[in-house]
Amino acid sequence: MATKLRVVHYLNQFFGGIGGEDKADARPAVKAGPVGPGVLLQKCLGDGAEVVATVICGDSYLSEHIDEALAEVSKLIAAQRPDVVVAGPAFAAGRYGVACGAVCKSVREQLKLPAVTAMFPENPGVDLYRRHAYILPAGNTAIDMAGVMARLAPFALKLGRGEAVGPADLEGYLPTGMRRNEFGARSGAERMVEMLLDRLHQRPFMSEVQLPHYDQVNPAAALSGLENATIALVTTSGVVPQGNPDRIESWRATKWLKYPIGHLQEMSAAEWTCVHGGYDNGYIRLDPQRAVPLDIMRELEREGKVGRVLPYLYTTVGNVQPIERARRFGREMASALKQDGVTAVLFTAT
Amino acid sequence: MRLEMATFRVTQIAFGATTALRNGVLTIDRAAVAAMALGDSNLTGVAVELAVPGESTRIIHVIDAIEPRYKPAGSTFPWFISPPDLVGSGVTHRLEGMAVIAAGDIPGAADSQGLKEAIIDMSGPGALYSPFSAMCNVVLQFSFAPDVHKPDATAACRKATMRVARYLAEATRDLKPDAVDDYELGKADASLPRVVYIMPTMSEGELHTTFLYGMSVTSTPALVHPNEVLDSALISADYWIACHRSPTHHYQNEPVIRALYKRHGKDLNFVGVILGRSLIPSAIEKHRQAVQIAKVAKMLNAQGAVITMSNGGHAYADQMLICQHVEQAGIATVLGVDEYSDTDGSDFPLVTYVPEATAIVSVGNQEQIIQMPAVSRVLGGERFLAGNDYEVGFQKRPEEAFPVGLRQLYASTCQLGYTTHRGRAY
Repeated sequence: MATKLRVVHYLNQFFGGIGGEDKADARPAVKAGPVGPGVLLQKCLGDGAEVVATVICGDSYLSEHIDEALAEVSKLIAAQRPDVVVAGPAFAAGRYGVACGAVCKSVREQLKLPAVTAMFPENPGVDLYRRHAYILPAGNTAIDMAGVMARLAPFALKLGRGEAVGPADLEGYLPTGMRRNEFGARSGAERMVEMLLDRLHQRPFMSEVQLPHYDQVNPAAALSGLENATIALVTTSGVVPQGNPDRIESWRATKWLKYPIGHLQEMSAAEWTCVHGGYDNGYIRLDPQRAVPLDIMRELEREGKVGRVLPYLYTTVGNVQPIERARRFGREMASALKQDGVTAVLFTAT
Repeated sequence: MRLEMATFRVTQIAFGATTALRNGVLTIDRAAVAAMALGDSNLTGVAVELAVPGESTRIIHVIDAIEPRYKPAGSTFPWFISPPDLVGSGVTHRLEGMAVIAAGDIPGAADSQGLKEAIIDMSGPGALYSPFSAMCNVVLQFSFAPDVHKPDATAACRKATMRVARYLAEATRDLKPDAVDDYELGKADASLPRVVYIMPTMSEGELHTTFLYGMSVTSTPALVHPNEVLDSALISADYWIACHRSPTHHYQNEPVIRALYKRHGKDLNFVGVILGRSLIPSAIEKHRQAVQIAKVAKMLNAQGAVITMSNGGHAYADQMLICQHVEQAGIATVLGVDEYSDTDGSDFPLVTYVPEATAIVSVGNQEQIIQMPAVSRVLGGERFLAGNDYEVGFQKRPEEAFPVGLRQLYASTCQLGYTTHRGRAY
């Protein structure tokens, strides 16, 4: 007979029976066996696994001391030698959802153990942690507890046994963001027609691409005092010095670059070129100022309409750029621009 | 309009003294095909080769793939080699299981915006990604005058390929078909949902476009009968990124049209096809098109719409704007897309989207890399086209083994949904 899997259950202060909001600062603690909803979890796991311990931590403590808290929680979990960790379910509770996601991520990365949690699909924990943990969808309140546990338990058993996890639509977890190609039974055209019929007849269907929830970026306040401002020229059009000395790629660029332009009154075709591979860059190569309007900026400088142009061009190639890398470039450029004392950016894209 | 599509199955092809079809074997008069393919000063030569399933053959520089078709009465390939009369009714003969593949390196056309490399492997791992690997193909490898005007070159090779496609199908003139399918939009119960098929097709400019009865599809939508698409009125002239080109063959056998036809009168009422333009170069024209397409769909009293797309980059914006306007007109949509999910599948698949795009079918991630093996024979050219130097594999010779993205495999993620290839969320 297979050995029983060892499961550790993570709960917040409320579900762990310590207290309500008044105990949200409770430090990580461990109790033997299942606690609160863990009893239902154990029932659903049946003979295949044992909830050997429950680790409980206050939601405030975890979010306000995240590194230390996760270290403590991981230590308590590791001491139990589990095969799999189950966190929550968190339903719609935001801090709890984020905590469950963070604990699962930490368990996977630091302890190299599988982990699963469950929460309402709009819980902020989902977008933050979907790539780092298996998250099953749950209702928005604990009314759904029995339904969720009935799904969490078999999923935990699957993970604990090291079984392969199939696609999200079959296995019932929220897509992690990873996509894989495969050949199936029906053509794309047939699936399009069937999905449309499902929609028209109000039958449930699952889109093969789930739309993300992108952050709302609040624009910076309107500029005033432009005559004193330092303006930086930043571009993703792929304008670089002739010869592309730093060998930036025409697509999927792995770098962004900074080139001195303080000594220049214009971007001449003799000195600059364009290497972006996603559009016909011939016109930019004929006159790089179509992408980087240095000549006009110099006029504005001379007329006193802007303070000064930053003596560096920030440039990269935007073609087929993975979003995560673009985010990283944005953060790095922003940090560098701030250090350069820039007030505003003239940003050209193609 | 009633189209009687007479299918003649081809299971083998071989060169022979005359062109004839007997028991599924098509023998081909090679010299006659070569002579027919010339006759235009832009073409300096054509090599006629055969590529059949299982061979260690790689076809490169693929320009288009056309299914042999012949109409005993009426226009075969209207405009190009016959008058632009209305097609989509009467009898059409088709050779199933084969394609005429045009290939060739057009001088001066290989830059980042010119013809892109497009590869078909007849065996091995790459073959999985192309329906042509399971077909008997006549490959026409064209050579062009060195200073040829590129659109003239592609026009010449297009007409030549069509002449050959018609010539081969004419071998069935006096034969009995293996099957006949009737395509007719008969009366459908009023209670069935009315569904329209919206097809934005690549139309970026002179070199990359889609022809409807010989003229480029525009952003003022064209209402067509699905039979016209099935009867070769829609011709691909998209020579850009290989994976999401729609070969003419796939228009002649358009899969969404066939899937809607299967359900017509049973689950839905297929009311028509609206053609639009993909890769519109200005925001204002994109907006205009979306408004016009939604208007036509509404005039058809559509309740649902399938919306595919063609090509990539801001082509997603064309599709998504159409989706948004059609949804706002009260019509439920499903979109067919391909993905840019990075080589490991970790990136969000779409270039852009609208919140109304809640029902999406994916034909797969074009950025996946596969290992192509060495092959014994290469057709279509001697070196990879220079305009694809972002692909590391293209430093190699085409007969060698190399890694390549699905991106460069011909029609591997064609958004019409012809194959079962798909992207799945994990």
